[in-house]
Amino acid sequence: MGNCFKRATTDDLSLLRGSDSIRETFSNQLGSSPYQEALTVQSISPVYNPSPSVTSLVTQLTEEEQVKIAKRIGLIQHLPTGTYDGSKKARECVICMAEFIVGDAVRYLPCMHTYHMRCIDDWLMRSLTCPSCMEPVDAALLTSYETN
Amino acid sequence: MAGMSPSERRLQKELMSLMKEPPPGVSVDVDLAEQNLLQWTVHMEGVTGTLYEGERFQLQFKFTNKYPFDSPEVTFIGNNIPVHPHVYSNGHICLSILTDDWSPALSVQSVCLSIVSMLSSCKEKKRPSDNAFYVKTCSKNPKKTKWWYHDDSV
Repeated sequence: MGNCFKRATTDDLSLLRGSDSIRETFSNQLGSSPYQEALTVQSISPVYNPSPSVTSLVTQLTEEEQVKIAKRIGLIQHLPTGTYDGSKKARECVICMAEFIVGDAVRYLPCMHTYHMRCIDDWLMRSLTCPSCMEPVDAALLTSYETN
Repeated sequence: MAGMSPSERRLQKELMSLMKEPPPGVSVDVDLAEQNLLQWTVHMEGVTGTLYEGERFQLQFKFTNKYPFDSPEVTFIGNNIPVHPHVYSNGHICLSILTDDWSPALSVQSVCLSIVSMLSSCKEKKRPSDNAFYVKTCSKNPKKTKWWYHDDSV
């Protein structure tokens, strides 16, 4: 696991750099979280979900949360990706409920469930579980490391 | 479907399939949902042979534009709130898939089926024991409640 995280450089936020494909940038969607009510949200700072129901601006994360999210990004980047070629049984991404189209970027979880990469990455940033079978993705990954 | 956000596209698909093949005893108010895709009203009938036979209930689903990553806010509304150990008299429902155990693979249909099954397995019609206190002190949004799921039997 030694090389899966971005190397920290100077400031606290550097752990979360270089992950543009995964991070979300919601600009005006923060009203729903109780932790956000005092904020005026005009900025376009990246937003993260340390847990599924908690939404935080990158600048509000504790150091512990930053490490957690950086680890998560590292884990997600280790999950295999591919291009849908029409040969698999899965016909539909259960997250967006759209059928896979040949050429779509997909990601495979250790439990063998397949999703659009953009759909599953959005979910994994909130919870490292498979939406279909609830299998924890990180535990399965660690097991596969140990057996190799 | 052009020009729709991913959450609107998914809600539109769910609406169509719920309209075409609704689960038994469940129907969605399509006109209302088409006016505002982020707030649906679902009608639900008590299942024959259960304590709720012959009763009709209304559920409100509120979605954010982060659906299905964010769970929907689901409450009973109207003048018949089912008397059930997991349903507060203000319509709030204590059901783990609505908060902690939500997954984007769940849907309006699967939530409706869970609620039908929760009602159908009930053995005694009663309110939760902390109903009076909860209803007085809770937030309007049940998703802000820190639920303590203590009983899987009903």
